Amino acid sequence: MLLPLLVRRPLCSSVPLTRCLRAGLCGGRGRSSWAEPLLLRRRLPQRSYVQSRGRQRRSRTQEDEWKTRNRTALTYIAAAGVGMIGLSYAAVPLYRLYCQASGLGGTAVAGHDADQVETMTPVKERVLKITFNADTHSSMQWNFRPQQTEIYVVPGETALAFYRAKNPTDKAIIGISTYNVVPFEAGQYFNKIQCFCFEEQRLNPHEEVDMPVFFYIDPEFDVDPRMARVDTITLSYTFFEAKEGQKLPLPGYGSH
Amino acid sequence: MSTAMNFGSKSFKPRPPDKGSFPLDHFGECKDFKEKFMKCLSENSFDNSKCRLQSKDYLECRMDNQLMAKEPLEKLGFKDLVDPPPSQTDQNTKL
Repeated sequence: MLLPLLVRRPLCSSVPLTRCLRAGLCGGRGRSSWAEPLLLRRRLPQRSYVQSRGRQRRSRTQEDEWKTRNRTALTYIAAAGVGMIGLSYAAVPLYRLYCQASGLGGTAVAGHDADQVETMTPVKERVLKITFNADTHSSMQWNFRPQQTEIYVVPGETALAFYRAKNPTDKAIIGISTYNVVPFEAGQYFNKIQCFCFEEQRLNPHEEVDMPVFFYIDPEFDVDPRMARVDTITLSYTFFEAKEGQKLPLPGYGSH
Repeated sequence: MSTAMNFGSKSFKPRPPDKGSFPLDHFGECKDFKEKFMKCLSENSFDNSKCRLQSKDYLECRMDNQLMAKEPLEKLGFKDLVDPPPSQTDQNTKL
């Protein structure tokens, strides 16, 4: 703020100097006429020049310093912004890895493979009761019910269970089903070898069929501390009517 | 549980079956085997371990009638029932 004032003062004082130089009246007061204006002229510009140059030099370095500081700050901020965007993109596979490692959210724990069925041994000490539930969607006219209310299995042993479905109407109905396992954490140990779900099943008018479910409980169930108090697992199937051209969101099931 | 609208609550994710879907037994070709199995269950208070022979017979019937892909029984978890070992758990009559 001082800088413009300092610059302005020598300019203001130099204006009367030039005026009196032009008029030729300056040097009539007792000093030599030629020396005074010269002195004045020489002194004032010199002072202003020195002062302003000092101020300018300081201001220039200060400005440069500010500029470099601003530039580095902007670079850091830009890098942080880019880093944030990259992190948000990387978060998707990272979270998936974390879920698989910790088994959160019901994701498959270590991905059971079909060969396990051959090599697993039943854990005979741990008897589990599997109860069955059957539901239909409100607009679905099939009669759908389980043929046994419960079955006692042990982990590591394959088991068979039956449902029955009847089409009481006079027209063929195509149904498609999904299932649910309660309690939630036990669902990851419930492995179905073969069932009737996720595929369109067609029932002719007045037809009744048996629908088997072939499953087993993973032997790891016995070792999991979270499952220590679980003795009952409920398997619940729900049938929906499959309309022409309507695609239900199925969990990646396409092989048949 | 799967319809709870809590943010962050775990929802059940159904998984497709390992060997796919059973074709429907429209003609009831294996109905007898199923009846035997159900009878065995009701006699043994629904203990699956005691009726494994009947379930094996039912699955064999399905395989014979093109209602199931043919697989060696060991792959279906019937390794102990294939060869007649002394550790067979089933002692019940078939009927």
